[in-house]
Amino acid sequence: MIDVKHLCKSFAEVEVLKDINETIEQGEKVVIVGPSGSGKSTFLRCLNLMEKPTSGDIIFEGKNITQASEHEMNKLRQRMGMVFQHFNLFPHLTIKRNITLAPVKLGLMTQAEADAKAEELLERVGLPDKANEYPSRLSGGQKQRIAIARSLAMNPDVMLFDEPTSALDPEMVGEVLELMKQLAEDGMTMVVVTHEMGFAREVASRVMFMADGRILEQNEPKEFFANPQNQRLKDFLSKII
Amino acid sequence: MNGLIEDFKQNFLELDRWKYLVNGLGTTLLITFFAVIIGAVLGFVVAIVRSTHDKTGKMKVLNAICKVYLTVIRGTPMVVQLLITYFVIFGSVNIDKVFVAVLAFGINSGAYVAEIVRSGIMSIDNGQFEAGRSLGLSYRQTMISIIIPQAFKTVLPALANECIVLLKETSVAGYIAIQDLTKGGDIIRSQTFSAFMPLITVAAIYLIMVMTLTHLVGKLERRLAQSDRR
Repeated sequence: MIDVKHLCKSFAEVEVLKDINETIEQGEKVVIVGPSGSGKSTFLRCLNLMEKPTSGDIIFEGKNITQASEHEMNKLRQRMGMVFQHFNLFPHLTIKRNITLAPVKLGLMTQAEADAKAEELLERVGLPDKANEYPSRLSGGQKQRIAIARSLAMNPDVMLFDEPTSALDPEMVGEVLELMKQLAEDGMTMVVVTHEMGFAREVASRVMFMADGRILEQNEPKEFFANPQNQRLKDFLSKII
Repeated sequence: MNGLIEDFKQNFLELDRWKYLVNGLGTTLLITFFAVIIGAVLGFVVAIVRSTHDKTGKMKVLNAICKVYLTVIRGTPMVVQLLITYFVIFGSVNIDKVFVAVLAFGINSGAYVAEIVRSGIMSIDNGQFEAGRSLGLSYRQTMISIIIPQAFKTVLPALANECIVLLKETSVAGYIAIQDLTKGGDIIRSQTFSAFMPLITVAAIYLIMVMTLTHLVGKLERRLAQSDRR
């Protein structure tokens, strides 16, 4: 579904991603872990061109997107949902309008269709009574669940999660992870950057370890945690578990 | 007390002098109204050009033009701009003075509005922008639906302040012999040789207008703040 070939990304002089080659298949749940500054978020953000790769190719659903025009880029982002660390809900709009804005503006649904979809999604994320509230009245966990619903409203083929629980109070992490788990069970293709090792262990079909702009090791979760090979990964795991 | 009443009669009732104030007020409001519209439109356009350049690096030439405009307008006095517009730019054509004033005040105000709006746009967290773009909205759609409404709310007090400044600044329109409110009061003064009554009245009328405007803006602000309520 997503093919990454020789992906490099530099910010000014700093090389953040160094020749990444990776394939993500439909239905996979890829969890990326690693120390901060390792390039995991940048890698994720390159996938939907939030960051423009310095060199290399990204092939999404058979199409090389690195050369995409502005218009093509907008089209492909409609099929890739993204969830941010800081939620980024639109504070001036009600929850329902947050969810319906993009599908309606992009002409994918009428307002009525989008409203129906929003209600269905709010039900799914367990917040059906919040439709007419503004984001400022929600807790962090609720905000993130709404942000997920907002992405799902576009019917994306893949969901990218950029540290979705890092800005949450500890007691709210569970509700967001639970929702992501449901999403995974429903067969959504997911790429998740996180520090939640429990989630990686339980939900991932593959766990990737990134450090210094490279993917140093990857494996299915059981082996990954029980039997790490790379010394950096061993050190990393010993520090966090 | 009798003196005041006499003063009032002499300044406003004799020879229907109150008409100077009423007609002057009309002219002041007319100039302000259209100058605010020109200023707002111009300001928004310049702000969008400038912030698009800051965010994406595009629109280099337009941005340079906007910068020159901002520097010149903000670097020279309003009265001088008004005089130049009337006597230099439109010096050789016979043109309605009020129109010239509307243009000069509008162009002047646009420069200030532009910087106010730009500061508002730049104050919105980049995450808002990214969220819009990640959903597939174009730069333009993101600007219109997500960034500008929030920026507008942020800068509303400053914009209202700019309106108030503009309203008061039109009092220099007399420099090109427009009979606005200030000039109206001054004409009465020159006819009756009493300064107190006409000038204080003029000041009071400005004050009432400004206070009304301030009140209306406060109301609007409270309505826009709905989404902030916890």
